[in-house]
Amino acid sequence: MAAEIKNPFQGTGGRRIVERGIERSLLISGTVAVIVVFFIILYLFRDAYPAFRNIGLGKILTGMKWNPAGEPPSYGAYPLIVGTVLVTLGAMAFSIPLGIGSAIFISEISPSRLKTGFKFLTELLSGIPSVVYGFFGLVIMTNWLRIAFDQPTGESWLAGSILLGIMALPTIISVSEDAISSVPTDYKEASLAVGATRWQTIRRVVVPSALSGITAAIILGMGRAIGETMAVMMVTGNAAILPEPIMNVFSPIRTITGTLGIEMGEVAAGSSHYHALFALAVILFIIVLLVNSSALFILMKLSERFRPSGKKSLFQIPKIVAPLLKKVLWGAVALLVVYYAYVRGGTRGGLEAVVLLAFSLALLTFLARKSSPRQGQKIVFSAISGSMAVVMVLLGVILYYIVVKGIPAISWDFLTQPPRDLGRAGGIFPAIMGTLYLIGGAMLIAIPPGVGAGIYLSEYAREGKITRLIRAGIDNLNGTPSIVFGLFGFAFLVLYLDLGISLLAGMITLGFMVLPTIVRTTEEAVKSVPQSMREASLAVGATKWQTIRRVVVPPAAPGVITGVILSVGRAAGETAPIIFTAVVFSQRFLPHSPMEPVMALPYHLFVLTTSVPDSLHNAYGTALVLLIVVLMIYAAATVIRLRYRRTVRR
Amino acid sequence: MNKDITRDGKANGSSQSVITTQDVNLWYGATHALLDITMEIKTNNVTALIGPSGCGKSTLIRVFDRMNDIIDGCRIEGKVYFRGKNIYDPDVDVIEIRKRIGMIFQKPNPFPMSVYDNVAYGPKVHGITARSHLDEIVEKSLRLAALWNEVEDRLDQSAIGLSGGQQQRLCIARALAVEPEVILMDEPTSALDPIATAKIEDLITDLRKQYTVVIVTHNMQQAARISDFTGFMYLGKLIEFGRTVQIFERPGQELTENYITGRFG
Ligand SMILES: Nc1ncnc2c1ncn2[C@@H]1O[C@H](COP(=O)(O)OP(=O)(O)OP(=O)(O)O)[C@@H](O)[C@H]1O
Ligand SMILES: [Mg+2]
Repeated sequence: MAAEIKNPFQGTGGRRIVERGIERSLLISGTVAVIVVFFIILYLFRDAYPAFRNIGLGKILTGMKWNPAGEPPSYGAYPLIVGTVLVTLGAMAFSIPLGIGSAIFISEISPSRLKTGFKFLTELLSGIPSVVYGFFGLVIMTNWLRIAFDQPTGESWLAGSILLGIMALPTIISVSEDAISSVPTDYKEASLAVGATRWQTIRRVVVPSALSGITAAIILGMGRAIGETMAVMMVTGNAAILPEPIMNVFSPIRTITGTLGIEMGEVAAGSSHYHALFALAVILFIIVLLVNSSALFILMKLSERFRPSGKKSLFQIPKIVAPLLKKVLWGAVALLVVYYAYVRGGTRGGLEAVVLLAFSLALLTFLARKSSPRQGQKIVFSAISGSMAVVMVLLGVILYYIVVKGIPAISWDFLTQPPRDLGRAGGIFPAIMGTLYLIGGAMLIAIPPGVGAGIYLSEYAREGKITRLIRAGIDNLNGTPSIVFGLFGFAFLVLYLDLGISLLAGMITLGFMVLPTIVRTTEEAVKSVPQSMREASLAVGATKWQTIRRVVVPPAAPGVITGVILSVGRAAGETAPIIFTAVVFSQRFLPHSPMEPVMALPYHLFVLTTSVPDSLHNAYGTALVLLIVVLMIYAAATVIRLRYRRTVRR
Repeated sequence: MNKDITRDGKANGSSQSVITTQDVNLWYGATHALLDITMEIKTNNVTALIGPSGCGKSTLIRVFDRMNDIIDGCRIEGKVYFRGKNIYDPDVDVIEIRKRIGMIFQKPNPFPMSVYDNVAYGPKVHGITARSHLDEIVEKSLRLAALWNEVEDRLDQSAIGLSGGQQQRLCIARALAVEPEVILMDEPTSALDPIATAKIEDLITDLRKQYTVVIVTHNMQQAARISDFTGFMYLGKLIEFGRTVQIFERPGQELTENYITGRFG
């Protein structure tokens, strides 16, 4: 009888088991993701170690000559490191202002019914594969630069920077736009309510509140620029020299990634050259690590300020940094002007461009300073709208050339036949199918552990040293250049596991490449669901998993899907990770098993452009098809996302 | 400007009116949220707006400082005179209006900045840069908002760390710092506990000496306690408007009486 008395608050055993099971499986997927991350890092170091031991880190870093074919070979990476830094700085110099301007335009100025349009066009820009950028750069842009600046060749630092800047733009725009749009309306209303203008509100409340997001956007854009291989390799001329003088933007230049892309394919496994290339990859990895970590550090400091107990107010850092930055910027502009006026007085084009830029900037600042808040707002708003316009024009020009010149090449045969005469004739059917196989496989490999790990990190993992370490590892791999994944795939999958150059090796490499992105976007999306919603659900007696499944995941789903879309698009257009792991050029048939190599669209385009003379016609056709494949993926995913949003709203 | 224009309102007050509305209609897309609102707000008085949820109180109070401007698809017809000038005229600068008509929101919304920067925000955007002048304004506003003693020694700490009631008074200080003539409050105490609420109510009573206050509230006792005039709204209409004593003791409409006595469907 006494046994009849039960604890009325005891849960059923079944529910507890389900909860436990789900937590376990999420933990496992998280573990898989983390192991992959750390394994890749370790493996890179393993293969680079012989080079550091035999040549010495100091000699590699400071050596002035990179000449692996010499007698004896020399492996001095200094010019390559400088090349990477210069190209990236050049790219950032114009993509940061353009990108942030456009982000502000989209979220704060553009009429709301055009917002989606602008966002879509920006996404389009990020959907253009890097090899297509490289193709455009090589066949169109370098010519323009050569003629405009009266240079012997357009393949230069400048060309690389312009291309990289354009490629970094969509990242900078969409991430900052997200950050700016998510600033609570409360803040804006409070600012407007005391009579601030829209611009004052943006400058003093919206942008500072979104600052951590904007910083992240810039870092992500920078990571993209540093790690980009194909586009850079195609337009920078690849001479392993320092520009002479150092600010000569018309000099050819060679980056670390370019070197890896060019040389990895023809190196004997296990040779000193092979290990030297891995050493380069490690150096590249560490540069990215440093950039990312400094960004993470800033982000951490900023988020501390948001915490209730924060001793300091939010805007302390910018207050100190902003004027300093301004000074540095103006100093740099002044230096450039002086430099052009004196040192390169001969090249008129460059001088004019820089002086004009500096002058208009100065005029703008001056006008905005001197005029009333309202006039200031008008001036600033037109500059901001201008930056959006520039971005749209860039997109328009690239699309115009690819579409107009690509259409004549496309026919039924082109889409359904294998290539003939080294791709000058025939079609690209095997390349289309190869690309679809590759991304399909990559997604199957990456999505389950990626999404699981993201949810685990956000909802289950206790904040602590280990979680932070995991997040740092994933973040760093997220910014890791795709060519590094290519190297890993080559060394571990192709050589060590003896998968050979094969579809499977390519799928795994691409899957690993997008894994960190999926983990982090999932985590961010899930985390952004307000705590009050979780509390409300838990308060009515829902279990943790019920809360996650019914309350947390639905509003987060569009964010997760966006992350996955971006990954798919990225995987479809990537060349660097598959170049040594999965593709061959002249394959005429489809693979019969995952162990055979495949053709892929980006690689086909790359080879046609750089190695097959007189194939321009079919190259344009290939570029257009690649573009359409990628855009179709985006479109499909966008539809899914929009539909999801609608059902969630109900 | 013709400052001394006064119009006939429904209220039989003696003092001057600051804000007068005439046949104001407002739509959110196809939703007709305000119907023919005509009323006036008297200087140095507290005017309360009451009515069931969704009747348009927030919408109406936001009409007074054009905060609805930032809502997409919101359309307004009719006239709203502030000091004799229709604030919806094309030549009116909305910034100027918001400077002179402050607003406090339902949920305390301090910026994630320091206490000091929150209060100094308004003066700064209006061009005051001298630190000593700002210090003065910040102290004065915080004192007016009865918050000074509590935050005096933590001015440079994040405002997010304040309690809900302190945050709301900080928001009031932030509004006062630009020296508005009218202060609009949309359920300023609904997120607060009784003690914090009492403090804000005392504050409102004090503010009445220098400012004109319009307050939206769900709390009938609050309206009765602190307001001089009361407007009762229902389904987008201003059903009745008059002196608070009259509205609460001798309501002219049955709807009003039902609502006040709590007999409401
Ligand atoms: N941004 C908007 N878009 C569309 N309709 C809106 C919007 N804001 C309010 N409404 C509608 O207008 C009507 C009046 O809303 P309002 O917020 O003014 O009510 P309220 O009296 O303040 O209610 P509460 O007491 O709940 O705050 C409601 O029917 C509401 O659904
Ligand atoms: Mg309301």
